[in-house]
Amino acid sequence: MERRRTFRKLIYMKLKIALLVVSLAVSTSFFAQGKYSTKSGEITFEASVPSFEEVKAKNNNVSAILNAETGEFAALSLLKGFRFKVALMEEHFNENYIESSIYPKATFKGKIKDFDFLELSEKKKEVLIIGTINLHGKDKAIEVPAFVSMIDGSIAIDMSFVLKPSEFNIKIPNIVSSKIAEEVNVSAMYLLKK
Amino acid sequence: MIKRRRILLILTLSLLGAYFVYNYMYKEHRNIKTETSKIEIAAPYLLERFKTNDAESLLNTTITVIGVITNIEEGTITIDSSVHCAFNDKIIGLNINDSVKVKGRCIGYDDLFEVVKLDQCSIIK
Repeated sequence: MERRRTFRKLIYMKLKIALLVVSLAVSTSFFAQGKYSTKSGEITFEASVPSFEEVKAKNNNVSAILNAETGEFAALSLLKGFRFKVALMEEHFNENYIESSIYPKATFKGKIKDFDFLELSEKKKEVLIIGTINLHGKDKAIEVPAFVSMIDGSIAIDMSFVLKPSEFNIKIPNIVSSKIAEEVNVSAMYLLKK
Repeated sequence: MIKRRRILLILTLSLLGAYFVYNYMYKEHRNIKTETSKIEIAAPYLLERFKTNDAESLLNTTITVIGVITNIEEGTITIDSSVHCAFNDKIIGLNINDSVKVKGRCIGYDDLFEVVKLDQCSIIK
């Protein structure tokens, strides 16, 4: 008799837990705005010096994910995906400066400050993204002003900021240092889809 | 007479030198479309090789990937949810569930989405 009762209690408990799990799953998915992502974000950087050859490259295959609930944002770009106009420049970028076979990717992990999904509209809203950039094996904390808007159900984020090669232990030889700017202008654009 | 010959020699040499320097500095980009593939590989297996760190030799090389299209987005396709291929031109006449053979340059492993990425792709079959 006693055994049967404990057995029944156990079944009730299991049922309760199952119910709890199901209701939790339902409620979170109901409230969640979910994740927005892209695999074809764009990053362009330019380190041109006036009257010298243009030093500019573009990567059209940058991955990014935004958690629309928390504002957490992550991006990853494969450095071999940066295309230059001049083939030799691309080769030097990969082999001598960024060393893309040793450090194949650049990443960003961070959070959009005070992000509110419900406030998004077609009008661009200025926000601050706080996080860490990892490039050439070095981490750097960074705060980037960005613009966020909602376009046809997709979230658009664009930003631009400045990086210095020296901050990431990227050495630029003296012979070419006059042709490459010390401050590199980076701009990124993502159209994140659900 | 000798002087003139010397001048001519120096002129041709410097012109030749300039030609080679220019060729070196402004050499053509690789043409992935006409390069021969290093290997032909099934999409899930390529992903597996990157996950087990056995694919460094494939970086920046031209490879051919075989599989079924699982996703199409402007200018890109995903094969077997494991290889993401970006094309230079617009994609015409491809549908989800098509079996394809794609040639492209392997640029690395994206651990955010857990896919291998190729760029400058072209359809072989």
